[in-house]
Parts: sequence; structure tokens; C-alpha cells
Amino acid sequence: MVNKLLGQAWAASGSAISSIAIAVLVVASAAGQSPPPSALVNRGAEDTVEAARAASPHTSESTYAYFKDEAEAFMADATQRMWDPTEPRQASPRTPWGDPDLAGYWLNVAYVPLERPAEIAGKALYSREEAVTAFVQWATRDASVDPATVHYDWTEFGMDNWQSPIRPNRRTSLIVDPPSGRIPPLTPEGQARRQQQARGHTLESRGLYERCIQGNQGPPRVPFLQNTGESQLIQTPDYIVLITQANSDVRIFHLDGSAHAPAAVRSYLGDSRAHWEDDTLVVETTNFHEGRKWNGSVGGLQLVERFTRVAADTLLYEATMTDPTTWEAPWSVEVPWPMMDPPGLFEFACHEQNYGIINVVRGARARAAEFQAAQQAEQR
Amino acid sequence: MKDLIKLSMVAVITLFAASGVAQEAYTPARTEHGTPDLSGIWQSFTTANWNILSHPVQPGPFAEQLGAWGAGRAGFGIVEGNELPYQEWAVAEQQRNYENRAVVNVTNDPSRFDTGDPEIQCFRAGVPRANYMPYPFQIFQTPEQIIIVYEYKGAYRTIYMDEDRPALDASWMGTSNGHWEGNTLVVDVQGFNEHLWLDREGNFTSDALHVVERWTPVSPYHMRYEATIEDPNVFTRPWNMSFMLYRHVEENAELKEFNCVPIVEPMMYRPLGFYEEEVPLDE
Repeated sequence: MVNKLLGQAWAASGSAISSIAIAVLVVASAAGQSPPPSALVNRGAEDTVEAARAASPHTSESTYAYFKDEAEAFMADATQRMWDPTEPRQASPRTPWGDPDLAGYWLNVAYVPLERPAEIAGKALYSREEAVTAFVQWATRDASVDPATVHYDWTEFGMDNWQSPIRPNRRTSLIVDPPSGRIPPLTPEGQARRQQQARGHTLESRGLYERCIQGNQGPPRVPFLQNTGESQLIQTPDYIVLITQANSDVRIFHLDGSAHAPAAVRSYLGDSRAHWEDDTLVVETTNFHEGRKWNGSVGGLQLVERFTRVAADTLLYEATMTDPTTWEAPWSVEVPWPMMDPPGLFEFACHEQNYGIINVVRGARARAAEFQAAQQAEQR
Repeated sequence: MKDLIKLSMVAVITLFAASGVAQEAYTPARTEHGTPDLSGIWQSFTTANWNILSHPVQPGPFAEQLGAWGAGRAGFGIVEGNELPYQEWAVAEQQRNYENRAVVNVTNDPSRFDTGDPEIQCFRAGVPRANYMPYPFQIFQTPEQIIIVYEYKGAYRTIYMDEDRPALDASWMGTSNGHWEGNTLVVDVQGFNEHLWLDREGNFTSDALHVVERWTPVSPYHMRYEATIEDPNVFTRPWNMSFMLYRHVEENAELKEFNCVPIVEPMMYRPLGFYEEEVPLDE
């Protein structure tokens, strides 16, 4: 079945695939807003991409052919292990002191887009066959590298999602609430903030991950397209510590029943207090720093995350975002985290060696200057 | 008689305080899994982050702006014998570091590491420096791993207790493998990069650094930290340091977030023009 699907994968123009981009940059997904200055001035980008393709001896198809056997074996294996939210969950294993055992290395990763594509509006779940089809399409696209847009060849370093324990998912969007599978409308205040948060040509306008202030834009853990979602949960009777590979961010969840820190003590990762509800760790996070921009929200985001060991090799991550000043309603995501194989994290000293931000800001400034020059030429 | 008892109590207390042997007879509480329990929030109260050798009061850099805020207290060193056995070239290198300790030159290549204390730029502190910086750190213990989370930069180390891991690459915080010797946690740390400083004085190590740490609880509230520093690229022989760590006992003691990246950004990137809204057309 997988091989047949692989044959179809190239033919399938992926409306669902293109929406993966939503998961890459959640910030880019709001409709009806003017693009940031750097995008405005990206005239001729299509020409540039076509020229790069023409200049390369490689194509997406030829890069895929290089990894074809490996990718097909991966897909055949992964389709045996589907995330199906309608199936009954296993009882969580327990620690020696009786709490649900969440400790280990887990991967926050998804091909399923954050928001449900318009083409499948109203369809919350794929059939098992459809889930496999979609998965194979995504994985095939992932295992190929467009020579025009390659920055790092992640595949070569074994860092593509298809080289991770990612699996098919019957969900059609990571957002499970509201039932539309879409982020609720922004309030006028949220829209205004969102526009202010657009990336421009000053350092302060750039994303928090680009600036190495937090990895993957910080909590909640919404998967990025590239496989940088490695995480570790360390568990003691009094604490759960969540370490994320991206930026080596460390969050300490207090299990002692203590109250949140005073409102004056605000931070980029927020103040997290946790408790157990049956098999589930419930983590409430508040006190976000006012500089913590996330999808139009700032310091007022109220985050509730739920971690449940639903199988020996699967942790279910659920998060609910509430901020009445930003969204008209709360919204929730559900992401199954497969166990990492092999386990382990590396130091991610992002800021120390952030050569990238210098190039990013200089590039954005060059684009902004081009744009201004073009505008002035048009006025003359 | 009363006086005699008093006197003997003073003598016992003095002995207790002066004698490491007496203190190390302390038997620490045990974890769930039966090892000595080092978990908690700890902090050194030395002035070694200014200078690991004995030093006088100093005004600190930018004294004209910061006055007493930026000043360093006098302090006794934490180095055994109060001497660093530098190789000849390294003496000059330390002096060069000192003179350029507040010179921050941000580039998009490794020349950014040529000047400036890593601390002033919010870079990870490395080992052993992270342990005597003026910030608390928290120890979390599981049977397989001991995790130390440092408030400074939120940096962390994993100490592998189950099996030794090789250092797969150079890093700021190194690769740590630990084992117990009685009540002492012994940690072997290596796999460092070549950018680490030991203090604001510009004392430094190289990527050949090898640290063996000994963490010994001496009371419910105190832990002795000892380290042997070996670096054949920089020093002529291994040398030792030691100092005391104190447990935070406040009821609401917690590690806070010290994310210094936003704090250092203007210092690092304003000279590059990255804060200017106006874009000159010839840029």
C-alpha cells in the first residue's frame, strides 16, 4: 500500500502539504493583514528561486531518489504505528513513589498542520487509510530537498522529520478546539499587536527564536516543520523539569501545591505550577514577560498544558491558550509526542554563536532599502 | 565548672568548624533511590567570579557610570596555594583578556570570542565557573541522571550516573559523568570549547580542560565543593580549588529566570545599527 501511495505522492499537489508552512511559522498564518516589510520587498523572489533551480544539477526528485529506500522503509514502519485519538488509552506506568511516570526523552513533532486546511473544513478526523495517504505525501515531500530553497540539508544530518519517530495521525489539524480546527478570530487589540509583531528590519522586530531568547518561540510547544522538537522530562516527587533541545530552554514545574509567583515576577518561559489529575500532569503557566510575543499575545497569555503517558512509547501533549485580549475564545492543540530513539539532548548554545541574527537583520535592512528605493523611483 | 563547659563547647564548635574531617563525618539524608540527597537550591558566597585568586576591592569596569553598583568586593581566593600554574604564553593571554574584558565586538564569525568576558555577553559560564557565580543553582536527582540548572542564563548540565558517556562534541558546559564515593558525588567533566573564562579577571581554560569535581555535603545546609583543574594547553600542572556552597532555606526559595539575552542585546547589536528604524538607501 505504501509503495502505491508513494507513486501517487508526487502527483498529489498537496493542499494539505502546503499548509505545513502554517506549522513552521504560526506567526504567518493570520489572514487579512499586510505582510511584513521584508516580504513586501521580496520582489523577484520567484525569479531568484527559478534561477537557483536552473543552476543546480539537483532536483527535488533526484534528492528524493537518493534517500528513496530509506524513506520507504521508514514510511512502511511508521504506518504501523498510527496515532488514533479514538482508541482507548493505556493506563500510565507509575514511578516507584506512585505518580504517573512521564520521565524520558520525547519528540514534539508533527506533519499535521496546526490549522485545518480549508479544503477539508468540517472533517476533524481522517480515516486510517486517509491518514496514511496524507502521511506518505508529507514524508515524501520532506525527504526531498528543493535545491533552490535548501539552507541546511537536514536530511543529510538525519534531522528531517521523516527520520524521526513521527507517525501518521488521524487528526486533520493539531487544533482540536474550537471544532473548526482554526485559531479563533483575533480581537481588535490582538490584531493590532499581531501587526506590531510582524518581522521587520530592526533587531527588536525579529522573532524570539531568531534572537535566541527562547527556542521554537517558547511555550506552548507547537511543533516546527523541522525536527527540533526534542525534549526531556525529568521527574522527581517534587518537580517535573522540561528541557527542550531548541535553545536548551529549561522549565521547572513545581508540584508542591505552591501558588504562582507574584505578578511582578514575569519571565519568558512563564511561571509554572503543576498538579496530577489521575494519569495526567496538568501544568498552569502564567506571568509571561510582556516582551514574550506569541501570535498576537504578549504577557497576558494563560497557558494550561496536559501531559499524559498514553502508551509506553507515546506521551500526549495538550495545551489550551487563553487570552481574552488577544483571541475571541480559548483554543487547544493536541500533539502526540513519540519517544525519542535514540534518546539524548545536546547543548544548544544559540545566543553564543548567533551569527544568523546578524545576517538576518542585515538582509532585512537591505530588502527594506531596496523597497524604499523602488518606491521613490515610482513616485518620480 | 560552668565556664569550663562553656569553654569546652567553644572548643568543640571551633574544632567542628575548622576540621573538614569532623564535618565530613556528617551523614546526609538519602533520596528515594538510596543515594545521598544533594537536591535543593545552592549558592556560593565567594567573590571568586571577580577573581579566583585573592584580590582587593576594585571599582569594576564602567565605574564612571555605575559607581559602587559595578564594584567588586575584596576576597580570598579559592585556589589552593593561591597560584595558577600558567604556561608562559598563558600569562600574557590572561593579561590581554583582562585588558579587553569589557570589549564586546560582535561579529558573525568566531572572532567574536577574541575579546570580552563571556559573562558580560550572556554566554554560558562553563565548569567550574558556573558553580561560584553569584547566582543560585538547583540540583535535581534521579537514579540515572543528576541535573544541575543554573539560574545564570538558565544553563543546565546533565551528570550521567548510569553509564559514562563520551563527549561527542565541544560545548560550553561540558560532558559530565558522575559516581558516588561514600557521600561524595565525584564528577568527571570534559568536552569543553576554547572560549571559557574562569572569572572576570580573564583567567581562562582551553578545549583541553578536564575538571574532576567533588561535591560533599557537610551539614543539611552546607556542601563542600572541590575541583581539580587540568589543562595541558594552558597550565604546567593540575591545580585545585575549593569553596563552600550554602543551601537556600527560605520557604519560598525558587530558581528564577535570568534570561540575559534581551539584557545584552542593545550592548551587542546597537553598534551594528540594528535598532535604527531608518534604513539609509546606500546600506
